[in-house]
Amino acid sequence: MKTHKLFENQSHSWLMFGRDDEKPNEIIDTNQYLVISKNNALLMDPGGIELFSAMLAEVIKQVPADKITHLFASHQDPDIISSLGLWDQALPSAILHSPWIWEGFIRHFGMENITYAPIDDDGGELKIDNVSLEYIPAHYLHSSGNFNIYDKEAKILMSGDIGAALEAVDAPIFVDDFVQHIPKMKMFHQRWMPSNKAKNDWVSRVRKLDIEMLCPQHGRIFTGDNVKRFLDWFEGLEVGLTGKNLP
Amino acid sequence: MLTEKFQNSTEYPQDVEYNYFVAAAVIAAKLDQATTIAQQLSLTASNARAVALRAGERAAGFRPLTDFIDRLAEITITASKKINHLAAILSKTSAAKVRADNAIKHFNIVFKKAVDSPFINSLNDAFEHCKINQDKLTRAYQRQISQLSDELAMLSSELRNAVILATLSRVEASQAGAQYQDALINVADNVEGAAGKIKDHIKYSQQVVSTLQ
Repeated sequence: MKTHKLFENQSHSWLMFGRDDEKPNEIIDTNQYLVISKNNALLMDPGGIELFSAMLAEVIKQVPADKITHLFASHQDPDIISSLGLWDQALPSAILHSPWIWEGFIRHFGMENITYAPIDDDGGELKIDNVSLEYIPAHYLHSSGNFNIYDKEAKILMSGDIGAALEAVDAPIFVDDFVQHIPKMKMFHQRWMPSNKAKNDWVSRVRKLDIEMLCPQHGRIFTGDNVKRFLDWFEGLEVGLTGKNLP
Repeated sequence: MLTEKFQNSTEYPQDVEYNYFVAAAVIAAKLDQATTIAQQLSLTASNARAVALRAGERAAGFRPLTDFIDRLAEITITASKKINHLAAILSKTSAAKVRADNAIKHFNIVFKKAVDSPFINSLNDAFEHCKINQDKLTRAYQRQISQLSDELAMLSSELRNAVILATLSRVEASQAGAQYQDALINVADNVEGAAGKIKDHIKYSQQVVSTLQ
């Protein structure tokens, strides 16, 4: 698994973990993100059970275990948080921040020690040390209870499944040619995202944010002008399609 | 394939190896079947009592035997329920043990992969806690298997009386006269048949338990 530093200033840093070449072929590749502040760290969408050992081994190279005080699960999917039962053993004092609607479901992954901090539908703020992170509601994109995390200081939006692409484990970390990238993400958004209304509402809210990096949970990160290109493309895309309706 | 073998046979298939947390569930299911048979045995006792009453003086010797059939059914039902409960607890312990074993396995991979990490020792406390939990579950697991084994042996021993009961029932049935003889011999056959089936389920369960010890 590779580790890539996305941002660093005096108060905190962002790391991305992914491109795990040891993962079984049948499992979708995932990106995990870590925000490290002075005394704490937040691990976002820590991944599936198959990924746990590789993830913990990488994370522990960056921070001691007792510094990882916060976990975030954007939604309830297995590739997001099915490793919870193991993190529960490794980080018994941690707090898991996740949409309120999924608490009773996510606990099925095994959670005896970690504390569940439910996120209201409207979102809110998570403060770790002096770093302020904002929960951006992204419901029905694709999950019915779903959040992104926005860091206005780093100008990073961790966008979960929005912007995701299905591609090889050795794919580059950043989108270089946006037009060439479209085929890798088009079907994913059309099939997985159920609501045009939810999509357009999200686009209009996210356009108001100052974003340098849009970081999805699968595939490549959008930077600079490609962020706007993605928002324009996503806004114009019809979603909620299946079978023969998929081009 | 496995399901078919499990459902259709009371003989323990030598080529089947249950995962240890599945084994506990298999035992619980077998004892559940034993409870159903014991409930049928209880009905047989009620039926025998009615026939013996109708037969009057000629079946006087049979009537006390119906109490023994009732008692046998009651013992079997009580013991089966207890064993079923023990097996359910064992199943829960086994599942928790699988999770604990799994966590240890993952920790060991991390210790190997991140051996050069400056923070690798920060996992020691969590690992120790997992080890303690694993040891606790292993001890509970062994204790529960032992309890289960003892209860199965006790029930098996009780069921030996069923053969004697069936023999005595046949002897008394022969005194009841032609009109009731067949019905009472049928009761004896039912007792023997039910006890045999329950014993088969117990034997199967004992063989499963022996693979866990």
